[in-house]
Amino acid sequence: MTFPAFLRRGAAAGAAGGFSAALVEWLVVEPVIRRALLVEDARAARHHEHEVPLVTRTAQFGAGGVTAIVVGVIFGVVFTVVFVRLRDRIPGTTDLGRALVLAVTGFAVLTLLPALHIPANPPGVGDHETVNERTLIYVLTLLVGLLGVGAVSAVDRRLRRRATDPVRQALDIVVGVIWAGGALLLLPDSPDAVPADVPAGLLWDFRLASLAQLSMMWLVVGVVFGLLVDARTLRPQRVPQLTA
Amino acid sequence: MADISPASATTPVTHVPAWAWALAAVAVFVLYLLTQENGALLSADKAMYLHELTHDARHALGVPCH
Repeated sequence: MTFPAFLRRGAAAGAAGGFSAALVEWLVVEPVIRRALLVEDARAARHHEHEVPLVTRTAQFGAGGVTAIVVGVIFGVVFTVVFVRLRDRIPGTTDLGRALVLAVTGFAVLTLLPALHIPANPPGVGDHETVNERTLIYVLTLLVGLLGVGAVSAVDRRLRRRATDPVRQALDIVVGVIWAGGALLLLPDSPDAVPADVPAGLLWDFRLASLAQLSMMWLVVGVVFGLLVDARTLRPQRVPQLTA
Repeated sequence: MADISPASATTPVTHVPAWAWALAAVAVFVLYLLTQENGALLSADKAMYLHELTHDARHALGVPCH
């Protein structure tokens, strides 16, 4: 399979992931956003403010989902480049297996770690003044997570000759968990406090819904990409083997 | 599906052409515009419009917003 053939499949997997994510956004996230906007409206009414919206709610609803689809295609393209480049290093004996390993790793580092450290917030939470600081913390969290993947694979390579497979794999997990725990403890926290008029239940529901949307994206991108590039999907008798 | 041949099954592609790296860079740049642009590159009112248009997705995708 040539690189453009991979890329076509990656873009298709990304579109499928983006569309699934958009469905979750429209069906699961938007109802929570509506609850948050009610809190914002009540706050504006208390302060006798009236804001003329730049973009209507209907347009925000539609464009939000379309944005998720475009982001899915972008994920698919970057996923393909990383997959092909690291194809002989990602653990797994088949391309479907390797695609799933890459998707789970991407989810853990680019979604779960920031979701735990600097979680998503509904409208009505977030201070305009601190957005640059929060963005910096967010990007820093992604970078530390990616460095963690490098650290785990470096440990894995070093242990390949010195330890049995189960011991090596267990130590890989230990290093990954210590790295993630250290990152969560040591990275600077978000400077924002959650305003008192935002109910804890709303915050929890929003963060869970956001995590559901991103999980859906990774799941669909990983599975669809894996199925599309795995030679066995169409020719079950041929199992491709990497010559390590 | 001519590309699923015994040869491609035994010699996996691991080479990423230069144009693909450029494409990935453009993709990440578009990702930045959609999720993070707040006036660093565009004029303030264009950035504000983009922010409001992609508002729900920015919240849903968990990127810092507002």
